[in-house]
Amino acid sequence: MIRVKNLWHVYENGKEALRGVDFEMGEEIVALVGQNGSGKTTLAKHLNGLLKPTRGEVVIEGMDTREHTVAELSRVVGYVFQNPEHMFFEEDVFKEVAFGPKNLGLSEEEVEERVWWALKVVHLDGYERRTPYSLSGGEKQRLAIACVLAMKPKYLILDEPTTGLDARSAAGVVETIRELRRDGHGILLITHDMDLVLELAERVLLLHEGRKVFDGSVEEFFSLELHDYGLEKPELLRISEKLGIGFVRSASDVINALAGGSR
Amino acid sequence: MIYPFYFEKDSLLHRLDPRVKIIGTIAGIAAIMLYNDPIFLIPLFFMTLIAMRALGKIEIREGLRLLKPLIPIVIITLIIWPLIYKPRLQGLLFGLSFSMRLLTFALLTFMLLMTTPQRDLILGFVRLGMPYEFGLTISIALRYIPTLYILTSNIMDAQKSRGWEVEKGNFLVRMKRMSAVLIPLLVASLKTAHELSIALESRALGATKKRTFLYDIEMKGRDYAATVVILILFGLALYVRYGLGLGHVSIYS
Repeated sequence: MIRVKNLWHVYENGKEALRGVDFEMGEEIVALVGQNGSGKTTLAKHLNGLLKPTRGEVVIEGMDTREHTVAELSRVVGYVFQNPEHMFFEEDVFKEVAFGPKNLGLSEEEVEERVWWALKVVHLDGYERRTPYSLSGGEKQRLAIACVLAMKPKYLILDEPTTGLDARSAAGVVETIRELRRDGHGILLITHDMDLVLELAERVLLLHEGRKVFDGSVEEFFSLELHDYGLEKPELLRISEKLGIGFVRSASDVINALAGGSR
Repeated sequence: MIYPFYFEKDSLLHRLDPRVKIIGTIAGIAAIMLYNDPIFLIPLFFMTLIAMRALGKIEIREGLRLLKPLIPIVIITLIIWPLIYKPRLQGLLFGLSFSMRLLTFALLTFMLLMTTPQRDLILGFVRLGMPYEFGLTISIALRYIPTLYILTSNIMDAQKSRGWEVEKGNFLVRMKRMSAVLIPLLVASLKTAHELSIALESRALGATKKRTFLYDIEMKGRDYAATVVILILFGLALYVRYGLGLGHVSIYS
């Protein structure tokens, strides 16, 4: 369980990035949305201890983040940064994935086992001798997930995992996220992509100017005036509204509803 | 973090042409190099501080704050001079005066940086005959310092999230650990540099030999007057040193 209680964060320059956020999450896919500068990244960085609360507290599986290092927390909360290239430094994919588990002080066999497992989960088996930088955008993103996944954290924070990817690569990443959810991981998705929220999220947390303004189901979220928060409603929902079928999650939902209606 | 030197203010120094200030700084540094007598060097430091306040409206407190990073060098100078020079008291005095010379040197440079926006400073150097490409290189380098700083902390956060710790282990282990940050940093920097070079070329950098400037600097009457004052003061300094033979003591005999 991730528990955030009345979290305030004030940066050194005096900027109040978070102003009393309460938030809890378990094994679910939560989308963390909001405009640039709304505090999304600041909140996410508190969950694995990269930032410590100015006021309030963050408790991860009973561990207060103020009393634990990032290295300790990384066993429970994995953070995949937006730009995968910011973490690659080893000569091949296998060593790259092994870096995290090695830092945890695991035995050789355990590390190796985890690397094979993580590569399989993100469908990168067969790539282990490739140089990380030679992979395509989608493969790099999945490798980044594997690097963090190999540490077997219960929770995963994914920062903009599909941005800049073509449709097929993005679909591959989405599929990986779904599988991880099925395997019992809790996933926090930081994103601007409303289509991704509609497709994937189970719950949405909306931040605005450092405050939590919405926390609830995806359906309720899309009934908000999203324009006020600098967000756009997905085209799919506009179409389904015009068609009068109400809330849908995917294009096939629309087709099913239409087909069902005409029958 | 990176300290931006320039402060927007309305003072004589702020209004002067950057070329005049560059010449003034060089003349000032040359002048303090003429003397090695504590009787000259110590008052010169305080005079520079006062000049900074009077001409550039830079608070004395602010000037001293900027000198803080130089304290270690000053301390080393103050310790070493009495150790190697006899009589020791005389050595301490030399140590003190050479520290003051160093601090004056720094103050003069800060005076230039704090009263001149970066753009004007580089334009000043270009107008004084430095090739434009040099000026551009310097301004790009300065521009990218904060960017690289942010990039470095991003990469460090990403690696920390993979259980990476800098603090652990001895020096060699730490050096090896740093590669987890240095390699991504190097790759990202090279990529940025490559993209920047494409951007510069696609905006026709170097297409003509003679550049025009959208924003230019111009020498006014005040600037010529200031240049004359600077040259007179520098001439005076030369006269005092060589004409009157003052301000120089022989240290090594």
